[in-house]
Amino acid sequence: MQRDNAAPCLSERATGMALSVLAEISRMLETLADSGEPGFIDLRSLPLSDADRAQLEALLGRGEVQLELELAGASEVWETSYSGVWWTRHRGAGGKIATEEISVCRIPELLLSHPVDIEAAAGRLRQELETTHV
Amino acid sequence: MSDKKTLGEMLTERGVSRRTFLKYASYTASILALPPTAATAIAQGIANARRQSVIWLSFQECTGCTESITRAHTPSIEDLIFDFISLDYHHTLMNASGHLAEEARLQAMADNAGEYIVIVDGSVPLKDDGIYSTIAGITNLQMLQETVKDAFAVIAVGSCATFGGIPGAHPNPTGAVPVSEIVTDKPIINISGCPPIPEAMTGTIAYLLSFGSIPELDELGRPKAFYGEAIHDRCYRRPFYERGMFARSFDDEGARQGWCLYEVGCKGPVTYNACATLKWNGGVSFPIQSGHGCLGCSEPNFWDMGGFYKPLSTATGDPLKWAGGAAVAGAAIGAASAVLARTKRNKAIKAGARKPSQEAK
Repeated sequence: MQRDNAAPCLSERATGMALSVLAEISRMLETLADSGEPGFIDLRSLPLSDADRAQLEALLGRGEVQLELELAGASEVWETSYSGVWWTRHRGAGGKIATEEISVCRIPELLLSHPVDIEAAAGRLRQELETTHV
Repeated sequence: MSDKKTLGEMLTERGVSRRTFLKYASYTASILALPPTAATAIAQGIANARRQSVIWLSFQECTGCTESITRAHTPSIEDLIFDFISLDYHHTLMNASGHLAEEARLQAMADNAGEYIVIVDGSVPLKDDGIYSTIAGITNLQMLQETVKDAFAVIAVGSCATFGGIPGAHPNPTGAVPVSEIVTDKPIINISGCPPIPEAMTGTIAYLLSFGSIPELDELGRPKAFYGEAIHDRCYRRPFYERGMFARSFDDEGARQGWCLYEVGCKGPVTYNACATLKWNGGVSFPIQSGHGCLGCSEPNFWDMGGFYKPLSTATGDPLKWAGGAAVAGAAIGAASAVLARTKRNKAIKAGARKPSQEAK
């Protein structure tokens, strides 16, 4: 996939970074399996070329879960073909990638319903029922 | 005015979910170079914060900094910061004008004493009692001193407010000085650049909101998250520099091949900013990617650094003269040159820090 903000002359060159990141993910996944401790990698902070990013995405593949979210702009979350390794891509202005991260965990926190939202939802539903009965 | 509800309560009422907070927090953590695990703390910090009162003062400036922070595009995650602040005074953007505008400023100061943030763009003229720039019948100096009195912190945005900028360039006819020469008893955060990168401004405000404290600053008072590395260090053309492959003019083969722009005047080696990573216009590009050398606009006295198109070795009379030899010698000289460039930068900073006050007097 073409990275939105990469310099043209960088986009075609693989630097080997994808394999380095993959090795780090592997260590994090073993830690998750052993102790349950999650791990995270901010992909934006790494000097990945387009080719590196595409290679990493291809190496990790896609698994059973793929989600699209609408949170002040589009976001995509998918579990890679390695269970417990999640890829989150947040898009910002003009659909460009604002930030991207790998989460090595049972489920990314972003997908959990927050207690505050649950409480607000309960209130709204209660009000809806009261209005409907009237 | 600042709302008494927390941002979390306020935005929940408007249907903004905590997932959206978390997305914003992930974005903020990323631009602040914080680990992804900081996102949860940022989201919680913002949710518990009150809407931040901000008073924006514009003095000797071109409005480029305001253009930068309010860049027009579709509502998105990057714009959420504008829901988190209450911009109580900004004479370019506010609806009120004349005495009503000034009353809004005074009211915001009274309502939020000790808690509001003052953002300043533009330098402050001191020569001839500051008469070269006035607003509402008072000089910029008077307005600044009056407004910062009860502020929590001051953010100087743009190279004019941080270092004097173009108004302070030789011969500095108005005696322009940066904010830091006037405000000495409040925390000051300098967000330099002409203009600064929008994310550097919004990210710093988000940090203040999330953690209630000042981010780590460099020796020039700039957040290290954005000004911790030289543009040269993160430039995608750096490998060409290391190999001694330079454009010698803007229309030669080296320029067409995208080689290093050091020899056509690029100031990337002595300029600390995040242009090479955050880029501009929503991450589309930055000057070097567009084929032009860095002007060094986030450094003190960038306008007087000796010429935008002269290589660093000749622009400043620095012993880096031999650095042109890096074109031949390659990586070894490149590394040594970078060390010398940093030394040169430190000298420039010292000279720059003194210059505005000397000329003002």
